[in-house]
Amino acid sequence: MFIGAIGCEPLQLRRVHLEHSRSLDVYRRNGGYEAIKKVLDSMSPDDVINEVKKSSLRGRGGAGFPTGMKWSFVPKDSPKPKYVVCNADESEPGTFKDRYLMERDPHMLIEGMLIAAYALGARTNYIYTRGEYKYLIEIMDVALDEARAAGLLGEKILGSNFACDIYTHSGAGAYICGEETALLSSLEGFRGHPRMKPPFPAISGLYACPTVVNNVETLTAVPDIIKMGGEAYQKLGTEKSGGTKLWSVSGHVNQPGVYELPMGYDDMEKFIFEDCSGISNGKQLKAVIPGGSSVYIMRADQIIGKDVRMDYEGLVAGGSMVGSGGFIVMDETVDVFESTKNLTEFYKHESCGWCTPCREGTDWLVKIFKRIEAGDGREGDVQLFLDLCDNIEGKSFCPLGDAAAWPIQSAIKRFPEDFQKRMKN
Amino acid sequence: MDQSDLIKVTINGQDFQVAKGARLIDVCREKQFDIPSFCYYADLALQASCRMCLVRIEKMPKLQTSCTIICTDGMVVTTQSEEIQKAQRSMLEFLLANHPLDCPVCDRGGECELQEQTFDWGNLEERFTEKKNYHPEKFLSPMVANDPQRCILCKRCTRVCDEWMGEQAIEAGNRGANTVIGTYGGWLNCSQCGNCIEVCPTGTLLDGTYRHQHRPWELTQTVSTCTYCSDGCQLSLGSRGSEVVRIVARDRYVNGLNGEFLCVKGRFGHPFINHPDRIRTPLIRYQKGGKLIPATWDEALRFTAQRLSQIKQAHGANSIGVLGSPRLTNEALYSLRQLATGAIGTDNYAVADRFSLKPFFANLSGPLATHRDIRYAKTIVLIGGEPEELQPLTGKQIRQAVRNGNANLIIINSVRIRLCEQATQFIHIRPGSEDAAVLAFATGDNDELSAKKMGIDVSEIARARDTINQTQGDLVIMFGGEVSAASQMLIAQSPLGFAEGGPRTLLHPLPLYNNSVGAHDMLRDGKDAAALLQDESVRALILAGKPLLPAGSNGAEPEVNREFVVLWELFLSAVSEFERQVDVVLPAASFAEVDGTFTNNDGFVQRVRKAIEPVHQSKPDWLIAGQLANALGTDAALEASPSAIFREIGERVPGYSGLRYPLLKDESNPVQVKHETVSRRDLSNELAALRNAVEAMDETANKEQLTPGVGHELFKLGTLMEKTPQIHLLSAGNPKPDNILVSPLYQISIDANLKREAAA
Amino acid sequence: MSTDFTQIQPLYQPVNMPGEVAVFSPEVEAEIDRHLAKYPSQRSAILPLMFIVQRERGYLDPPGVSYLANRLSLRITDIWEVATFYSMLQTKPIGKYHIQVCKTLSCKIMGEGRITEHVSKKLGIKPGETTPDGKFSLSLVECLGSCGTAPMFQINFDYHENLTTEKVDQILDSLP
Ligand SMILES: Cc1cc2nc3c(=O)[nH]c(=O)nc-3n(C[C@H](O)[C@H](O)[C@H](O)COP(=O)(O)O)c2cc1C
Ligand code: SF4
Ligand code: FES
Repeated sequence: MFIGAIGCEPLQLRRVHLEHSRSLDVYRRNGGYEAIKKVLDSMSPDDVINEVKKSSLRGRGGAGFPTGMKWSFVPKDSPKPKYVVCNADESEPGTFKDRYLMERDPHMLIEGMLIAAYALGARTNYIYTRGEYKYLIEIMDVALDEARAAGLLGEKILGSNFACDIYTHSGAGAYICGEETALLSSLEGFRGHPRMKPPFPAISGLYACPTVVNNVETLTAVPDIIKMGGEAYQKLGTEKSGGTKLWSVSGHVNQPGVYELPMGYDDMEKFIFEDCSGISNGKQLKAVIPGGSSVYIMRADQIIGKDVRMDYEGLVAGGSMVGSGGFIVMDETVDVFESTKNLTEFYKHESCGWCTPCREGTDWLVKIFKRIEAGDGREGDVQLFLDLCDNIEGKSFCPLGDAAAWPIQSAIKRFPEDFQKRMKN
Repeated sequence: MDQSDLIKVTINGQDFQVAKGARLIDVCREKQFDIPSFCYYADLALQASCRMCLVRIEKMPKLQTSCTIICTDGMVVTTQSEEIQKAQRSMLEFLLANHPLDCPVCDRGGECELQEQTFDWGNLEERFTEKKNYHPEKFLSPMVANDPQRCILCKRCTRVCDEWMGEQAIEAGNRGANTVIGTYGGWLNCSQCGNCIEVCPTGTLLDGTYRHQHRPWELTQTVSTCTYCSDGCQLSLGSRGSEVVRIVARDRYVNGLNGEFLCVKGRFGHPFINHPDRIRTPLIRYQKGGKLIPATWDEALRFTAQRLSQIKQAHGANSIGVLGSPRLTNEALYSLRQLATGAIGTDNYAVADRFSLKPFFANLSGPLATHRDIRYAKTIVLIGGEPEELQPLTGKQIRQAVRNGNANLIIINSVRIRLCEQATQFIHIRPGSEDAAVLAFATGDNDELSAKKMGIDVSEIARARDTINQTQGDLVIMFGGEVSAASQMLIAQSPLGFAEGGPRTLLHPLPLYNNSVGAHDMLRDGKDAAALLQDESVRALILAGKPLLPAGSNGAEPEVNREFVVLWELFLSAVSEFERQVDVVLPAASFAEVDGTFTNNDGFVQRVRKAIEPVHQSKPDWLIAGQLANALGTDAALEASPSAIFREIGERVPGYSGLRYPLLKDESNPVQVKHETVSRRDLSNELAALRNAVEAMDETANKEQLTPGVGHELFKLGTLMEKTPQIHLLSAGNPKPDNILVSPLYQISIDANLKREAAA
Repeated sequence: MSTDFTQIQPLYQPVNMPGEVAVFSPEVEAEIDRHLAKYPSQRSAILPLMFIVQRERGYLDPPGVSYLANRLSLRITDIWEVATFYSMLQTKPIGKYHIQVCKTLSCKIMGEGRITEHVSKKLGIKPGETTPDGKFSLSLVECLGSCGTAPMFQINFDYHENLTTEKVDQILDSLP
C-alpha cells in the first residue's frame, strides 16, 4: 500500500516513512513540538485562532467546516471548563487516513491538540478512537506517556504556565459516534445518540461545557500552520480550501493507499490513472465514490476528460463532494445496484434508531434491495426508492439519514441501467 | 404581560404577538394551527425524534421540527403546504411500516394517537409490502403488558420513568431498526406506577390487569378523585354497566393537578370496588358472643338506634363515641358530625387518623403549597416523611422541581429515602430526632444541641440555613408524621419567620389519607382519637370506617371492646380483625359509588363522582349517618343529598364558605380551601417543652443505613389494595415468571397465594 | 443526556440485581481505577470498563453487569441500554477467537465473499455462529478502516489485511 504525497512536499506524511517514526525522539528531531514552543513563547490564544483562520483550514472529518471559525465560537468568558475532543472514530466506509496518521506519527496529533487546547483554554482533552482501533489506542497511550514524561503534558508545559492533559477514550463499534454530538453522548457514557443542535458543542458540548470536536487530520495540520504561518499553509491549496488533504484510495486501482494531495490538485483522471497507477487487472473504470460512502457516486464519464479539480468546490462542480476523502474506485465488474445495496445495509446497521425516517427508512430500503436481489423487482420500485430517499433526506435528526439517501439517489440517477435490468416488466 | 416581552410571529400569513421564549409548537397549537406530534410532551426533555411536527420557517434550510424551535421576533412560519403534508404522510408511513396494524385486537384501539394521527395526516394507501420485523407480545411485569411491534419509539415511557419517577427502570435497548423498549433481563422491577402505560401513544405498553377485556368506547368515563393518598390525583373511572374496569388519568379524559400521573395504587387499586367479598347486607350480632346475622337495613338501623338510646339514657350522651375515617368524603364526615352533635349530642367525636394535623392547622400562618407550587419551588425542605412511597405525586413534583427546575432539595430524615438521590443536601439524622431539626431551624440558637442529638455536624445546619436564606423564589416546607405536635406548631408558624420580601414560604403537610385534611376540617373541634379510644367512660362506639389508629401501635388492632359497637365498612375482612367486638356491621359504598368531595394536602376541594350504583345493599356513608340520625329520632334533613350537605358545609365550615358543587366542576382548576391563618403566637411554652424533649433524646441510637426498597409502602397488602390480585406478586418481590408470554397471574392460586417461591 | 449535566449518583437499584457480582484481581481493579481517573464523571468510563469486563469474563455476563452497575453507581438498565447499543459489546457468550470479516464496499469488491466462504468452510460455521468447541466465532462486520488493504478481517483486536485464502489458512492454523 502506498503512503505518500503527490504534487507537493509531504506535510502530514512527512515522517511516516522514518524509522521509529512514532517515538518522541524522532518526532522532535524532525521539527516536532516546535510549533507548541512557538505558541507558548510568543502567541496569544487569539493569535493562534487567527493563524488558523488565515490558513483556510477546513474540517477534514467530512463536513468541511472552517476550523478557525469553529474555534472562535467557543465563548472566552465562560466559567465552565472547556474541552478539545479529537474525533478519531474514522468509520466512514472507504476512509483510513486517520489510522495511519496515528499509527505512524502520534506526536503530531498530540502537538496539534496541545495547540488547540491552548487556543481554547482547555485543560482536559480526549481522543475518541473507534473501539476496533485498539492497537492505535495503545500507540497513543505510549506516546502520551512519553510526552508526559518529557513535560509536554501536565502542569507547566515547556516551563510555561500552560497546563493541559490528553486522554484516550475508546468507542465500541458504532459509526454514528463519529457524528460529533453522538460522540459526546458516547464519551459521557450514554448510548451514542446525536443531540439537538443548537446548542452547538462550542457552547454546550461535553458535560454541557464548551467543546471543540475536530478530526485527526484537522488537528495534525495545526502544527504546520503555526510553523509556516497560516498564509503559507493556505497557499499550498486554494483560496477557500487551504493546505493539503489526505485521500484514502481503495478498490480497483493498482496502487491503493493514503495520498497527500494539495487542495485543488487538478484532474481526478490523472490521479486515478497515473498516480494510483490505473485500474487493476486492465479493466475499465466504471464508477468512483470520491469522498467516503456518504457522497454521490460518479460515473467514469464524469471524470474522464472532465478535469475534475480535487478540492471542495471542484468536486461539487464535478457532481460529488470531498467528504472524508475516502476514494473508492470501481471497475466495470461492479454492479452499482449491488454496491448501493451494500452501502444501504451499512447505513441500516449503523442507524442509531433515534429518529423515524432514518430508522424505519433504512430498514425499508434494505428490504426492497433484498427483494429485488431475490428476483422480485417490480415496476414501481425505482420510483419507490427515490420517494423514500426524498422522505428521509432533510427530515432526519442528524446527517446520517441524508448520507443514507444520497448514494441511492445518485446511483439511480447515474446508473439507471443497473437498476432497470432487475425490474420485471 | 409587558409589551416588551412580546414578539411578532407570522404563522400561515397571520400575525401574532406571542411571549418571548415561547415554543413554536405550543404557539401554533394555541392559535389553532394543528400540528401532529408523538415525541413532544410538555415538561419532559425534548426528543425531536418522531419528526412529525415539521414546519417551514423562512430563512432556514430544510423543514424544522417545531417542537425544538423557540420563537424569535419576525419569524415567518408555514404549517401547511404540499411539502409539509408529504413529510407528515411519509413519517406516518415509516412508523406504520413495521407496525402490525392489528387495531381490531389492540386495547388502545379507539384511543390511540397513532390511529388518530393516521386518520388526520396519514396516507390512504400502504406501500410497504415487505416482511415486517417481528417481536412477540409479552408481559414486562404483572401490571405492564408489552407489544414491542406497535412501538414508535417516541420514548415518552422512558422519559417519564426517568424524569417523573427517577427510576430509569425502562429504557431503549439495541440500535437502529432493532431498537426496543425494555429492561435488563426482560422483567420490570420498579414501583409499577404504570405511567409508561399512560403516556404511551400506541398499544405498546398496556394495562396488564385490563388486557383484552373491553374496548375504550364501551366504557363510561367518570372523572373523580383518587381514594388512596392525600395528594388527591384526578382520575377517570372507566365503568361498564355496574362494574369499574379500569382507571386512567389520560388527559383526554381528565386534566387534573396530576396531569397523566398516577401511582400503582391509584391506577391498579380499583378491583376492590366490585370485589365479591364486599359486604352485601347489614349484619347484626344480637348477643355478645353470638354470630353476625344478615338483616335488613330497617332492622339494623332500628336495632342500632335502640341500643344507642339505651346507653345514652343510662350513661349520658357522652358515653357514645363517634369516629370518622379520613377516607370518607367531606359530606359523609359532616353528616357524621351532625349525627354526633345533633342527634346524639355527644362531645366525643374524632377523626381516626394516624397523623393528626390539629396542632398544625391551629397555628397555620401561611398558605398551603399546591403541587404546582412544589414543581416551581426554588427550595424544598422535607422533614421526615417518604413522599415517593406515601404521596407519590408530591414525590414526582419534588423530583421535577430539582431536575427540571434546578431547585434545592434539603432532606432531613433518619432514613436514606430514595428521594435523597435528587437532594442537594441530605441530613441523615438519628431515628426519632426530627424534632431536634425543627428546634434548630425554628430558633437558631440550639444548633449545637440539635446537631448532637441528630448525630450530625453543626455545619450541616448552617449550610441548610444558608440555602434557605439565599432562596430566590418559593420555599416549601414539608413534614411527615414523625414530628411532634409542638414541632407542627412551630412549622405552622414558620412563614412568619421570614421578613417581608424574603422567600415566599409555603407549607405542605404530608398526611396519609385521601381526605385527612378534609376530615380535620369537618371534625375540627373533635377529640383526640387515641384518647377517645382509651376513654373507659365511652360505652358505645359508632365507627364510620375501620379506625386507622393509633400511631405507634405498629399495626396492632385498636381495642374497641365496648357495650355496643356499630361499624360501617366495605369488607368483612376489615371487620374480622376485631370481629367479636362489633355488634352491627353496615355495608358502605365505595368512592366509586358516591358523590362527594375530598380535600387534598394542597387544600384543594375536589369532586368525587359516582361512576356506578352502590353495589349490593351498600349505602353511601353520608346516607348511613343521616338514616341513623333519623332512626335516633331527629328529623334533621340529613339525608337530603351530597350537594345539599355540601351547601351546608359551604355555609358552616370555616374556609369552605361560598363553595358549591358547580364551582368544583372543572378539575383542571381546583379550588383551594381558605384555611384560617393566625398571626404570630407566643409559642415559648411549646419551645421550652420541645427543647426539653430534645434534650432528653437518646444519643446512642444507630442510623439506618439502608435505602428502603421500592414499594415497601406502595405494595403493602392493605384491605383495599389486596383485592388487586397482581399486588400479591409485587409484594412477594415481583419474581420474573418462567413464561412471560402469558399473564403473570398464572403464578397465583385462586385464594391469592403465590404458587411458587419468589425468585431471588 | 440532559443538556445541563449534573452528576447524579444513584443510591439504590430498583432492578433486582442478579445475585452474583463479579470480582476482579487487584491489577484489574487498578486498571479500572486508572480509567475512572480520566473523567470528571464516572459514567464516562462505561465503555472502557465494559471492554475490561468482557476481556476478563468473555462477555458481559450478569455478574459482570452487576459489577459495572455497582462500580459506576448506575442502574442496571443503564448498563443494559449502553451495552446493547454498541456492536463490539457482547451480551451473549462468544468464541475465544472472534473472526470479524469486513463486508463493506471496498472489501466486498476486493473479494470479501471468497474469504468468508473459505473461513466458513474451514470452520464449518456460518456468519453469526460459533464452533461447538467455543474456539471460533464468525461475524460479518461493517467497515474496519482497512479499505486500502482489502480484503481483511479482524480476529479479536488484531488486523489481518490483504487476505488470500492461503493467508487465512496460515493465520487460523497458527492460533493456539
Ligand atoms: C454520520 C456521521 C458520521 C461521521 N463520522 C465521522 C468520523 O468517523 N470521523 C470524523 O472525523 N468525523 C465524522 N463526522 C463528522 C463530525 O460530525 C464532525 O463534523 C467532525 O468531527 C468535525 O471535525 P472537523 O471539523 O475537523 O472535520 C461524521 C458525521 C456524521 C454526520
Ligand atoms: S438520522 Fe436519526 S436514526 Fe439516523 S443516525 Fe441520525 S439520529 Fe439516528
Ligand atoms: S414532536 Fe417534534 S420531532 Fe416529535
